Amino acid sequence: MGIDVAKFDRLFNPKTAAVIGDKQALGYSWLNSMSTFKGPVYSVQIDEREIPNIEAMGYQNFKSILDVPDDIDFVIVSVPRKFAPMVLQQCIEKGVGGATFFTSGFAETAEEEGIALQNQMQEMAREAGFMLVGPNCMGLFIPGRGVRFTPQQYAGEAGPVGFIGQSGTQSMYFSLLGGAHGVKVSKLVSLGNAIVLDVPDYLEYLGQDPETKMIGMYVEGVKDGRRFFDVLKDVCKRKPVVIWKGGQTSDGARAVSSHTASLATEYTVWESLVRQCGALPVHSLEELVDVLKGLLYIAPSTGERMGIMALTGGQAVAAVDAFAKQDFTIGPLSDSSYEELSQFFSVIGASYRNPLDISSNLPDQTVLVRILDILERDPTVDAITTELTTSLLDRRESMGEGYVSGLIDILANHRERTKKPYFCTVCPVDQEVAAIDMRDRLLARGIPSFPTFHRSANAYRKLVTYNKFLSGE
Amino acid sequence: MTQSQTLHEARSQGRTFLNEVESKQVLRDAGIDTTQATLAASRDQAIEQARAIGFPVVLKVISPDVVHKSDIGGVKLGLKDEAETAAAYDDIVASINANQPGANIEGVSVQGMARPGTEVIIGMSKDAQFGPVLMFGLGGIMVEILKDVAFRIVPLTKRDARSMIREIKGFPVLEGYRGQEPADIEKLEDTLLKLSEFVQQHDEIKEIDLNPIFAYRDGLTAVDARIILEEQAG
Repeated sequence: MGIDVAKFDRLFNPKTAAVIGDKQALGYSWLNSMSTFKGPVYSVQIDEREIPNIEAMGYQNFKSILDVPDDIDFVIVSVPRKFAPMVLQQCIEKGVGGATFFTSGFAETAEEEGIALQNQMQEMAREAGFMLVGPNCMGLFIPGRGVRFTPQQYAGEAGPVGFIGQSGTQSMYFSLLGGAHGVKVSKLVSLGNAIVLDVPDYLEYLGQDPETKMIGMYVEGVKDGRRFFDVLKDVCKRKPVVIWKGGQTSDGARAVSSHTASLATEYTVWESLVRQCGALPVHSLEELVDVLKGLLYIAPSTGERMGIMALTGGQAVAAVDAFAKQDFTIGPLSDSSYEELSQFFSVIGASYRNPLDISSNLPDQTVLVRILDILERDPTVDAITTELTTSLLDRRESMGEGYVSGLIDILANHRERTKKPYFCTVCPVDQEVAAIDMRDRLLARGIPSFPTFHRSANAYRKLVTYNKFLSGE
Repeated sequence: MTQSQTLHEARSQGRTFLNEVESKQVLRDAGIDTTQATLAASRDQAIEQARAIGFPVVLKVISPDVVHKSDIGGVKLGLKDEAETAAAYDDIVASINANQPGANIEGVSVQGMARPGTEVIIGMSKDAQFGPVLMFGLGGIMVEILKDVAFRIVPLTKRDARSMIREIKGFPVLEGYRGQEPADIEKLEDTLLKLSEFVQQHDEIKEIDLNPIFAYRDGLTAVDARIILEEQAG
């Protein structure tokens, strides 16, 4: 629609990089973050007190980007704001692929000098067609290329999730929380003041990027609403977009004279737009990661009939409530399933009606395999979910070593064979550490889990919503 | 006069809205069903027009200064004959003069009584970021108190029109809840699409209310309509 893909490709797949203005006061955070970069990283610093430290870290330092004897694809700028226009001018002159400006103190200060400097940089970059990210931003996180903006971020293993963040903090937290949940990033941008490249530009790019299979966003507001609408509508036809909107409260009193205008509050219209385009609205960082995790690890489906396996009757009831609240059906199984189950299912203190309470069947793990197979074959079940609460499984483990790993093997084998959506709920109760361990062990076998039934049901609902949208429903 | 001429004329007069008679005419030209209203500038004209339309009729004040007509006695319903029409005309003028002294009364609109149906509201407003937005909801308390409405950004696709009607919580009412007359949902979809198209062609329109619309088993009619125009620069 409008972006120059080749320019974006160069910036988002950099082979060479430079950091301008990193210093001790920042703990050399930028150079440390870029230590994982797959390619040469040059430093540009004029302060004689900083240079020895930088060189001691193993970086070659230059007084100007113009002196660097290499083509540079990606530059991180962290200089005082009064030098920012000069540095930008040199980057343009050098023909670098693009630059992210961590430097702040521009229009966000709402004071004259900051605004003037920002306008000056905007004009320079626009005129030169220069790829300026920010200013006042954390910039790019491209784990596959080792580009990071904090040493806490992972590197090397990229994922298929693109991310656009209007807040440096939320972008960083997304990368960290997502990383812990197997929601790994292809390309992430924290866009700051977005004086040249804005939300629709990045969205258009990630929308056509073959390494990006789905997109998460944290947005507070967009400047070119119509273009955002057009781009979002287009991208959602190809890949799911999950959007967390910050600042959802009403924009206060406006002078309106029609009924319609008084009801069309900022957030209502926003959420309508998101749904109209086929994107998925979420309301927190956790929900954003949950929904992307579901899209990433659960098989695509429009199926709404759940087969639920819980470890106890009480949890079976809680699971049904949560899934029913998200408009899923937990109906009776087919007659042949009941017939088969009745032959081996121990009903004392348990139940093989859907939801299946498998408590008294836990000791014999081969029974669990048979139950999963029956649910897999049952034509009245579209998707299968299992509850695994560590506080209960602990008791099993104490009766015999290896119970839990045997159980995980069974679920993983099922996951490999099943064509139906499959996911787990791992309720921590009092064992949060053990629950995280269980979550990680499941994820290592490709099984996504969520810590409450409500979060499981919500993640799967969003997946169904998107697939219904794709199917034209 | 065509839609564009009516809009152009109102703007050239520096007005920021169309009166009910003009609004309905413009919308009818756009293919949207409304009750037909005519402007009567005097009591005699009102009686004459009422006779031509056939009783019972409705009179509503036409004044650039009155926004909420019914709140200050500007609407009279179910007028059965000439005498009632004449009295209603005088009542309206007296009531407006008493409640809003100095309001410029151009006359009244005269229209037939529409058969009551399921009350629906359709409207348009402009979002600062996304431009024109259409709204759909059920009329009365559903919209006033429960705010049970759905929005879509213009232009609407068929799928948008379809889904926004089904999105409201009160949708079963439109399907004919408990033996009530169902609403013509296809016609509602069509009305939304026509309004979307109309809005796209007219940047100069700021807000529209079709409130209420009476929806029937077959067809619908907008009983009241208001079009507000953008302020003109300079």
